[in-house]
Amino acid sequence: MANIGIWYIIAQILGVITICFEFTSYQIKDKTKYFLITGIGSFFWMTMFVAIGIATGMSTQLSLILAATYSTIRNLVFFRVFSKNTPESKEAGLNFLLVMIVVAIVAGTATVLNAPAEVRWLHIIGLFTALAFVIGQYLPGVHYVRITVIFYAIIVLLTQTPLNILYGDFRWNIMGILIEAAKILSVIIFYIRYGSEPKTAQLKFAKP
Amino acid sequence: MFKIISDGACDFSKDEVKKYNIDIVPFYISFDGLNYLKEGIDISRKDFFNRLVSDKTVFPKTAQPNPQDYVDIFIPYLDKGVDILCITVSSKVSGSNNSAKMAVDMLADDYPDRSIVLLDTLNGSVAQGLILKEIIKMRDAGLSLDKTTQIAENIINSAKQYFTVETLEYLKRGGRVGPTTALVGSILGIRPILQVEDGMISQLDSVRGKSKTLKLIEEAMVEALKDDVNNISIAIGHVFREEDANALKANIGAGLNIQIPSPLVEMGAVIGAHAGPGALVFAYCKKYEEV
Repeated sequence: MANIGIWYIIAQILGVITICFEFTSYQIKDKTKYFLITGIGSFFWMTMFVAIGIATGMSTQLSLILAATYSTIRNLVFFRVFSKNTPESKEAGLNFLLVMIVVAIVAGTATVLNAPAEVRWLHIIGLFTALAFVIGQYLPGVHYVRITVIFYAIIVLLTQTPLNILYGDFRWNIMGILIEAAKILSVIIFYIRYGSEPKTAQLKFAKP
Repeated sequence: MFKIISDGACDFSKDEVKKYNIDIVPFYISFDGLNYLKEGIDISRKDFFNRLVSDKTVFPKTAQPNPQDYVDIFIPYLDKGVDILCITVSSKVSGSNNSAKMAVDMLADDYPDRSIVLLDTLNGSVAQGLILKEIIKMRDAGLSLDKTTQIAENIINSAKQYFTVETLEYLKRGGRVGPTTALVGSILGIRPILQVEDGMISQLDSVRGKSKTLKLIEEAMVEALKDDVNNISIAIGHVFREEDANALKANIGAGLNIQIPSPLVEMGAVIGAHAGPGALVFAYCKKYEEV
């Protein structure tokens, strides 16, 4: 029992670390750095679920561990693609993106089919917001990723509340809610900062 | 006085070649990999691009002038006792500079008293044309070959060139982007903004949509040039997009509070084959008086 308590506490610490990285990532304009920071955040997110799994039983956490692993790999591969910035790396990155979309569709469809009828709508929206987010991450500029993450985070946040009765005795998952809320808050703060910044050219050409 | 010679990547029109009293060593173009046509001599730019658009199954190959092409153009001037300043497209994207080097080596023993200066512009197309025009101005102002060379090297360092393409199709055909990138980019309406950096073409950014792309380019040009308006030459080029190029020229000029004097440049085959119809090019460099 004491062992369970320790792993539960470790999970909370990992959750706080996840919040720090996820919050920071949406303050960063540079896509390469964004993918690195959010990739590290996803890694801690994944380890948080592992810790919860050790504390409460892996079977309930397996799908979440897989989802977080998927995010971690995707973010770190995109980090590699954007940091290399060659036509070959971009082609490889896009092929990887397409594979990721297919995986998300398959996994998302399975989740929708297995979800209780009462909350199936939530998981259908979740599938579309997840797809939009994955594509938004890859699209150029600072806006698409932030707009799509808001919708995705809201849906994921709702799945951490009693609204989602997938597990019958589902309770509020405070850490899960805080992680998603941190992303939403970070985007809001980003746009407050962005709006107050002096207007500079988004595209920069070198001086002669 | 010295003779100015450039390879065909400078995208000068026939009228400009005549007007500025320079010689061009043309590139070769082949649609079938067997028969090679001299650009501007055996095939006009318009015919080249019309064929590029109409035949989607082939990608034309461009080949650099060979050393003998340079030798043939150099010799008449050397025989007359005239020194030569020859400029080429970036040696990192074409073997043209290497061919010229070989030609210079071949002639060194026969013309020991003559100078042939070879300059690698580390650029091409519109930017190469701008550099060429500054060199022409120096020649016409009576600067010596040595002084012109020295200043031209600094102009080359100041030259910048950016371009955007309307479709990824031609970059794909030329092997510069992969098929997935071209497909997804087309579906999402993404337009890459490319730059010539250290003599090589690389992607600077990508933007969704034509109007947004052009707006960002205008802003970037104004931001980059606003402090040097009186010290620089600017040129804008295009492939079959005169209207867009003119609008951009007017908008950038308005942003900088100047009239951009250079006429629009119609891009040639060397870069244009990879960029395709719809491409827009922006280049600038310091004026020779300011270097």
